[in-house]
Amino acid sequence: MRTLRILFAKELSAILTSPIGYTVAAVFLLVLGYTFSLTLFATKVANLQYIFHQMYVLSILLVPVLTMRSFAEERRSETLELLLTAPVREVSIVLAKYAATLTLVLAMFAGSLVYAAILDRYGEPDWGPIYAGYLALALHASLLVAVGLLMSSLTENQVVAAALSIGTFLMLWFADSVSYLLVPPFDSVAINLSLIGHFKPMVSGSVFLSDIGYYVSASMLALFLTAWGLAQR
Amino acid sequence: MTISRSDVAPPGALAQRPDAPAISATAVSKHYGRVAALDRLTLDVRAGEVLGLLGPNGSGKTTFMRLLAGYLLPSSGGLAVAGLDVVSESLAVRRRIGYVPESAPLYPHMRVGEFLAFMARLRGLPEREIEAAVGRVVDRLALSAVLDKPTRTLSRGYRQRTALAQALIHDPDILILDEPTNGLDPRQIIEMRELIRSLAGRHTVLMSSHILSEVQKTTDRVALLLNGRLLGVRAIADTPDLEAWFLSLT
Repeated sequence: MRTLRILFAKELSAILTSPIGYTVAAVFLLVLGYTFSLTLFATKVANLQYIFHQMYVLSILLVPVLTMRSFAEERRSETLELLLTAPVREVSIVLAKYAATLTLVLAMFAGSLVYAAILDRYGEPDWGPIYAGYLALALHASLLVAVGLLMSSLTENQVVAAALSIGTFLMLWFADSVSYLLVPPFDSVAINLSLIGHFKPMVSGSVFLSDIGYYVSASMLALFLTAWGLAQR
Repeated sequence: MTISRSDVAPPGALAQRPDAPAISATAVSKHYGRVAALDRLTLDVRAGEVLGLLGPNGSGKTTFMRLLAGYLLPSSGGLAVAGLDVVSESLAVRRRIGYVPESAPLYPHMRVGEFLAFMARLRGLPEREIEAAVGRVVDRLALSAVLDKPTRTLSRGYRQRTALAQALIHDPDILILDEPTNGLDPRQIIEMRELIRSLAGRHTVLMSSHILSEVQKTTDRVALLLNGRLLGVRAIADTPDLEAWFLSLT
């Protein structure tokens, strides 16, 4: 546990001393503020569903920018050799990077709470879908960060890592579209792999264990594969 | 997820047999597909000696060191450090060694003191001992002038010294130094040589180099590698003309 704490602190300090984290957070909040204002003025409806969908899309585009350097940069600068020759388990290295990056993404998401506060101040929002939406976003972020780390662990080129992550996220996003081309039971598999298929019900306020299970198991699988890959050397 | 058995005792708690070599390799091979980076290498390094791995680039020196440090896993053969198996007791082995990779990697967002404290924590030193441990290596490697500087601003000489300091921070039994004089100017090379010599006895040092004179001046014994194979091992004292020996084998 101490090792995990030490590595987490190191990862967080690496994120906070790099301009990448601040730039991504600034772009994210700027686009979100713009969208929120437009939506609120256009619809005059006190809900955040549209904003949650914006956050879903933005995070698919921006999380890879945060995760791309995690392993790729350590591999390129050979500092990964320092970590892997220290008395540290691979799983601790992976979990520390995951926890630090997820902290930043959740902090970015937390910036949108101000919109919920505005709705509460000037309207009467239905809080059920808002709570469920934030739960969906947290789970969505967890999956994106875990898969992003996996992609970063496969290469020493940050751009390749980001491209692989975005490609994977887009394929997962539209996985249900492929189901029309597939025969049973593969069509069901494609539908169940779909990111948006598990996200939509939650932001509408319908929380199913199957959706939570999808995000949790996919995140754990990606983290396991990352740690396993590091151990194969 | 690691291959090691479990968390094990801290450095020093695991007694080594007095007659056991500090490093023992028995028919160790490392293959990348069909290419053998290391081919059935058998070599013992005695406790307290400085052994030099000599060979041209691509001869397998770095691969052997990475295997010892636990960064790579052998394809076959037996490899023990301080009497511990590097595969099944990997974490314990990593606690007993200090390793400096060839490029002397450092975290660019950290200051020198911060980096050394981080490495000390990572190597399991208790919090109360970290300040003293950092002070000890800073004094020994004359790093006080750069202690508060970001590592990305260091000269090659200071980088190398900082990398060596992190390897010494937990006072390991065995030091593995991959091309420690690489990129240093002549004065820095002399200083590094003296430093390595001063470590002998208390530490077992395995260093690599492709420069004959460096090996001759720094080590007690030399092992010659070529194309992943060990061509011979000689005591420096018995080899007045290292160059002739090298040429006779290669």
